[in-house]
Amino acid sequence: MSNPASPNTNYGRRGFLDALVLVIPAIPFALVFGLAVRESGIAIWLGWSSSPIMFSGAAQITLITLLGEGASVAAAATAALVVGARHLFYSFSMAPVMQRQPPWFRWFAPYMLVDQVFALCVGKQDLPAADFRRYYLAAGMTFWLFWMTFTALGLFVGPVLPTGLDITFATPVLFMGLLVTTIDSWQKALVAVFAMLVTFLLAEMPSRSGLLIAALAGLILGLLLERFRR
Amino acid sequence: MTILLTILIMGLGSYAMRAVFILLLSNHSFPPWALKALEYVGPAVMAALVMTMLLSPEGGQAPRVYEWAGLATAAVVALLTRNHIYVLTLAMAVYWGLGYLLG
Repeated sequence: MSNPASPNTNYGRRGFLDALVLVIPAIPFALVFGLAVRESGIAIWLGWSSSPIMFSGAAQITLITLLGEGASVAAAATAALVVGARHLFYSFSMAPVMQRQPPWFRWFAPYMLVDQVFALCVGKQDLPAADFRRYYLAAGMTFWLFWMTFTALGLFVGPVLPTGLDITFATPVLFMGLLVTTIDSWQKALVAVFAMLVTFLLAEMPSRSGLLIAALAGLILGLLLERFRR
Repeated sequence: MTILLTILIMGLGSYAMRAVFILLLSNHSFPPWALKALEYVGPAVMAALVMTMLLSPEGGQAPRVYEWAGLATAAVVALLTRNHIYVLTLAMAVYWGLGYLLG
């Protein structure tokens, strides 16, 4: 997220630094997950194993919490899948840029395609393939290491959360900043505003499913606006 | 055992959702209109995600004034400066400052 890009920018280093900025506000979230595992009554390392296996924060919390509350496996899994379904959009969006990558990376990259990595990389698609790969890998692995460490830490220090200053708001703030940098036309701006509005109106829908409908509605609006332009 | 199996299946599901289009479309050439459409996925899904983060997980509770203000600051600063350090500093200052003033 550091701004100027000189011709010899080290994109590995830059991906690491950009991810670090997003890691800090995500710390409370990771600790809260550890706490959720403790409260669920599931064996702690079993609960934590969802971090490397799923690597999907909100879906993990949904799954573990519902299982702990005694919901059926099918109900908990369905809710967690709905929560995680936004990744389908990420996969779709990243498909063209991944065509220029070697097969090993196309298979490995999706494992790390979390919100933060998508948010950072979606605006980097014009980079040369090797630079994009370095940036993506550095950001993804930084976030992965953080998530493994801090969800484990949360198993033990869960209740010691900072209550004075609420830093978690920095995540939507940074995402908003990244969102704005992906907008280069009034059509995209309108799509973003529309998607936010729809999400807001669908706030009551369970398991974040409003997000999916809103993203889809935004995408359709974008397509309609494209048609108008011609 | 059931729980481990559930987590493993969810892990597969989680990976599958992120990989499906990247792997299936790896050899397809995109027509120009499809590439145009893909450009809208980022703004649409990220906007929806930002709004979701502001809404309480249980739904219902609308974002507070200082949350709207912080978000608006972030958008304006990003638009004007494209510098995320400024975005973070100013938006959080507005969010904390207004939050403190309004209790």
